[in-house]
Amino acid sequence: MSGATGEQGDITTSEVVTLELPDAEATRALGAALAGELRAGDLVILTGDLGAGKTTLTQGIGATLRVRGQVASPTFIVAREHPPLPRADGTSGPGLVHVDAYRLGGLSELDALDLDSSLADTVTVVEWGRGLAEALADDRLEIDLERPRGAPSFDPGAAMEEDPEAGTRTATIRAVGQRWAGIDLGALLG
Amino acid sequence: MAEPLVLGIETSCDETGVALVRGNELLVDAVASSMEEHARYGGIIPEVASRAHLEAMIPTIQKALGDADVDLSEIDAVAVTAGPGLVGPLTIGASAAKALSIGLNKPLYGVNHVIGHACVDQLVDGPLPERAMALVVSGGHSSLLMVDDIATDVTELGSTLDDAAGEAFDKVGRLLGLPYPGGPHVDRLAREGDPTAIRFPRGLTAAKDQAKHAYDFSFSGLKTAVARWVEARTDAGQAIPVHDVAASFAEAVADVLTAKTIAACHKHGVDTLVIGGGFSANSQLREMAAKRCAEAGIDLRIPPIRYCTDNGAMIAALGSAVVRAGVAPSSLDIPVDSSMPLTTITV
Repeated sequence: MSGATGEQGDITTSEVVTLELPDAEATRALGAALAGELRAGDLVILTGDLGAGKTTLTQGIGATLRVRGQVASPTFIVAREHPPLPRADGTSGPGLVHVDAYRLGGLSELDALDLDSSLADTVTVVEWGRGLAEALADDRLEIDLERPRGAPSFDPGAAMEEDPEAGTRTATIRAVGQRWAGIDLGALLG
Repeated sequence: MAEPLVLGIETSCDETGVALVRGNELLVDAVASSMEEHARYGGIIPEVASRAHLEAMIPTIQKALGDADVDLSEIDAVAVTAGPGLVGPLTIGASAAKALSIGLNKPLYGVNHVIGHACVDQLVDGPLPERAMALVVSGGHSSLLMVDDIATDVTELGSTLDDAAGEAFDKVGRLLGLPYPGGPHVDRLAREGDPTAIRFPRGLTAAKDQAKHAYDFSFSGLKTAVARWVEARTDAGQAIPVHDVAASFAEAVADVLTAKTIAACHKHGVDTLVIGGGFSANSQLREMAAKRCAEAGIDLRIPPIRYCTDNGAMIAALGSAVVRAGVAPSSLDIPVDSSMPLTTITV
């Protein structure tokens, strides 16, 4: 199933949730809260400009999932795999596959990423995936992150010392497909 | 007795590298790159890289052997990058190395790519002292390593929490509308700009970051600052002074990299610094590191750029070091590890 045509399998199954994220910690906390709901096979598509907080949100997801390695930008290597770390009780949860689709022409075949992990065993987060990654799964979370445009205190030619991560981000979360039917994201994340 | 002759194979990203090293002497370094193919896509596509490695592997091995006038039977050990890097490309290099190891009945050593970037300096500047600092900076890595023994004892003091230095350059290149890869273009523009024109933020340098992230790097906020600065100028209907933006951005990157590295040298009583990885070609980083190391009495070692980008020499050099240190060979069923920890020197 591809494209947002509204056909079966491309149904928004929960209310669109919009959240204000006052700082990077809030973005990370949103990822951490979402990860509590994520399980193996889930797909998350992140959209937003450079600096909107896509990798920061993924860091929150990785922290809750407890995966190996620093969750950093996957831009250079296109996809980074984080295997799960064992939990205290000896079990382990899903791993994390973190993809930057910015340079990919299409994602109809994830084979192009040459991944070691099977997507059925991991949570897959795709940055810059809109228009490409929908074909991967009928069920998915689509998250748009928006940051303020322009410098916080723009004075042409002057110094810029303020925290560039400052400024409230807005996250818009849309759940698609049967996987998310009956799950009240607003309540979970509120 | 002559020191062992080590064949090194590197395939972690888009360069197929094969080299021969005896002791700290480089006999030959052959490289085939698929960068031009990737530039068409505006970046590295793992599947394209894998196919290119597959096609280049045997010709590159043959070229290395031919140029050095060495027969395969003379090789004493085979070293190969086991990680970190792209899984497909790594697997092709590892498969070739395992085949050679079996065919020649010589030991196999799976080694760490990032530590190879530090070790290659031994081929140029001689053995590292007992304790050295290594800053490895590239499109995919920005790590500060303390090297007590390059073959057996490396500590990761810090790494980037988000973007690697070279990656931040590529993204700023994208913001400024420069072709891929943007890094070298940004460097070129920066050389003609005023590095003090805009005071961009220095990530993880605030007092509150000292406890947990004294030697970690963050370039994502800097990238965002550049984006927002450019947007604000654009919205105000003003021209973008691209040279000054590039120079001020590059200054911020070089400032943080060198300041943290030199602080780590002081803290750990280290007087030798190696800078490796493709981003060590960056003009402002080189200048600032030279100046600050001279002031601090630190011996700065930056290998020539052809040894800083990915190559087989770095892997053969590290293979040679671990063989000479008596490290046990790798088993023939070692897996490749795309996110190999930087404290793992051999697998």
